[in-house]
Amino acid sequence: MTDVSCLETTKLSLLRELFASATHDASAAMCCWTNSLITLTLDEVCEVPLQSVCTDLNLGDEPLTMVVFNLDGGAGGAMILTFTEESARRLAASLLETDVQGSPDWNELERSALTETGNILGCAYVNAITRLIDHQVVPSPPHFVVDFGASVLEQALLGQVGATDTVLIGRTRFQHRDAELNWWLLFIPTTALRAVMERGLPVTP
Amino acid sequence: MFPGIEKNLAREMPVGMGQAVVTREPARLTSILGSCVAITMYAPKLQLGILSHVVLPNANGSVAVPAKFADSAVPYMISVMQDRGVKLGELVAKVAGGACMFGGGRFMDIGEHNARVAIAELEAAHIPIIGRDIAGNVGRRICFDLSTGTLTVESPGHPSRII
Repeated sequence: MTDVSCLETTKLSLLRELFASATHDASAAMCCWTNSLITLTLDEVCEVPLQSVCTDLNLGDEPLTMVVFNLDGGAGGAMILTFTEESARRLAASLLETDVQGSPDWNELERSALTETGNILGCAYVNAITRLIDHQVVPSPPHFVVDFGASVLEQALLGQVGATDTVLIGRTRFQHRDAELNWWLLFIPTTALRAVMERGLPVTP
Repeated sequence: MFPGIEKNLAREMPVGMGQAVVTREPARLTSILGSCVAITMYAPKLQLGILSHVVLPNANGSVAVPAKFADSAVPYMISVMQDRGVKLGELVAKVAGGACMFGGGRFMDIGEHNARVAIAELEAAHIPIIGRDIAGNVGRRICFDLSTGTLTVESPGHPSRII
């Protein structure tokens, strides 16, 4: 991913620590929920030009299965949990202890299983951020969406794009034991939340 | 690659958020849209076209990235086309996008607002809008074919449209 490095390097590094800590909490919650060894690792925190963000995040041009939250509070943002369809179907089948469904549609149980996964992940992630920056952020009810990743990301970025032509995004990846899963968690703060996060960073000597 | 479109020598050029790209046949300009709006202008005789991927309705005085805002994108696109020898009366326009995605939160009206301002600006410039595919609550993958001026629009779960 292009790293424009408009942020001071130190600030970006501290933001990575903040995101890594939230990822750790979300990882623990995910292990409990899936009763397996699915872990989360912070992939990157970066500031990228608006015009290349969808390409840089490699969201592709095929529809993805997503669970999306708006983050409310004085300063908010959005979180997007993305899966390829195959990954999403495998996870739903695993949680529901069924075989992978061949139907092109998502039934209520499958939607519910994925939405709850997003809810658990998102809440753990947001709770950690809230604790670390001492600022209340409240996730909305999750939305189950099957759409183009770039289309959903566009709307999630609206809280940043008015003020700047670069955007800050934290991306987390998932693993099952040592195998990479085609899941990603994107954390997109608004400009206001980004400022709160930067103010809340510990000052290093 | 878009299904149903034969692969030929035409270049496929993605247009990112806030970008405008002008080119001529053989080429296809592509974008994926949610609340954003794509404005296309086309000069059929020259097979020259421009696509702006508009993010927000109003620039409010910001001039750095004119294609990012609907109200600054239209005059910018006109000037780019005129610089290439196109007369205003030769231009036709299309507009696509402006969806309200996943409930939208505090930004739920932005897509509609983007489309409304884009259309108003085109009308004010007396450029005929010969196709539009706007609003709704699903994303769009679009392909602007400079050889014909057609805009192919695809959305998950919907048949593709050509406008």
